[in-house]
Amino acid sequence: MVGSIGIAELLARSDAGEELILLDVRNDEEFAAWRFEPRRPLETVHVPYFEFIEEPDAATARIPGDREVVVLCAKGGSSEMVAEMLASAGRRARNVSGGMLAYGDHLEPVRIRTGAGSELDVWQLNRRGKGCLSYLLRSGGEAVVVDPSRRVEAYLELAAELGAKIVHVADTHVHADHVSGGPELARRAGAPYSVDAGSGFELRRTVRQLADGSAIPFGASAIRVIAAPGHTPGSVLLLAGDRHLLSGDTLFVGGVGRPDLGGDPAAWGRALFATLTRKLAPLPDDTVVLPAHYASVAEIGADGAVSGRLGDLRRDVPEMRIAEERAFVEAMVAGAKPAPAAYERILRANLGLEDAPVESMTEWELGRNQCAASSKAAAGTRGA
Amino acid sequence: MAMRKLDVRGAKCPIPIVKAKKEIDAMAPGDLLEVTATDPGSVPDFQGWVKTNKNALLRDQRTTKDETGREVYVHVLERKA
Repeated sequence: MVGSIGIAELLARSDAGEELILLDVRNDEEFAAWRFEPRRPLETVHVPYFEFIEEPDAATARIPGDREVVVLCAKGGSSEMVAEMLASAGRRARNVSGGMLAYGDHLEPVRIRTGAGSELDVWQLNRRGKGCLSYLLRSGGEAVVVDPSRRVEAYLELAAELGAKIVHVADTHVHADHVSGGPELARRAGAPYSVDAGSGFELRRTVRQLADGSAIPFGASAIRVIAAPGHTPGSVLLLAGDRHLLSGDTLFVGGVGRPDLGGDPAAWGRALFATLTRKLAPLPDDTVVLPAHYASVAEIGADGAVSGRLGDLRRDVPEMRIAEERAFVEAMVAGAKPAPAAYERILRANLGLEDAPVESMTEWELGRNQCAASSKAAAGTRGA
Repeated sequence: MAMRKLDVRGAKCPIPIVKAKKEIDAMAPGDLLEVTATDPGSVPDFQGWVKTNKNALLRDQRTTKDETGREVYVHVLERKA
């Protein structure tokens, strides 16, 4: 049996710049659509697994022999076969267990610095394969989880490790790029769940309403709810301990949320402009912005976290510099693009209108999120 | 001209291609092989594989439901001369 490597170890080693060869054996279509993306460049060779079945010697000869090879496929089956073929040809090879499926599910917890003596502990759980960010906030023995992914065990385990009880679960909006773990996590934790679909959407879920300006208390801290229509009509911003702003898909480190998913980018664009100008205006420049997504690994900071200082974003994000509503809305309308492939079905699942088997949800979620408005900023510093 | 059938429902890759290759390489020219799979990734996989296998020609690919209501991907291959 050939050895294997898990996603966490592969990310850690390739993020650190270790010299490895990544051999991706998926078909051309899957390889073009979605790639493994470490923080440092990783030499990647693409040879579909069926070439190893047909021409094993020719395929093996295409793989550089000077470094350890890690073999990746969609679910870990074909890559195991190829890794075994390479190992029996005398190569140093390991199989990436679980493949891109495991990569898409993996959550990397990163602690956000909140300053000495802070009563608030902020953990960002980075779903590297999707570019989705969720949060666990802890104060004393209580925790609140925001925008959780479907793999809810990660949050339950982290809370248990920190000795905290999850007392509230919230989504900043009805997500359309991934299936929310919110209802399931709330049920498992015995905590209330909050999400607001906004007007025009039927929400078939039992939720605790979050009024604009209300507070979610936990431990010695509290989260203030700020209604923030734009990306969706029911979006909220959650301000934790007066300094950490969970900005959902309203504001990212490199752009703003797309207001075109409802089919009327001008109407939602006007709402987004009002949110970005009026709702954010009272917040000081040193507010720490913690978004629900990022567009490229270049947005991950040296400390491993995706975060921005509000003052910097006011200065650097092109859409944040547009002072006129008309110009802002024009930019949003011009940047409108088709909704992601499984948008409708994910939305229906998150609204509680449809129950789907786990395999279907997994298929819908393949690939990276596309939640930012298309602009120079949202295209990211690296394009990808 | 004979039509063989290969049921690889529930199998994940590389099993569908490994089994289809075994069948195709042993078939007579002109014979057909109908492969039924449940993995959506089998669609681009079969398209890519026939480019590297000198014996197989991809005649048809379709998506349908099996008797249990499960979505299945049917690939019809012909053994080349």
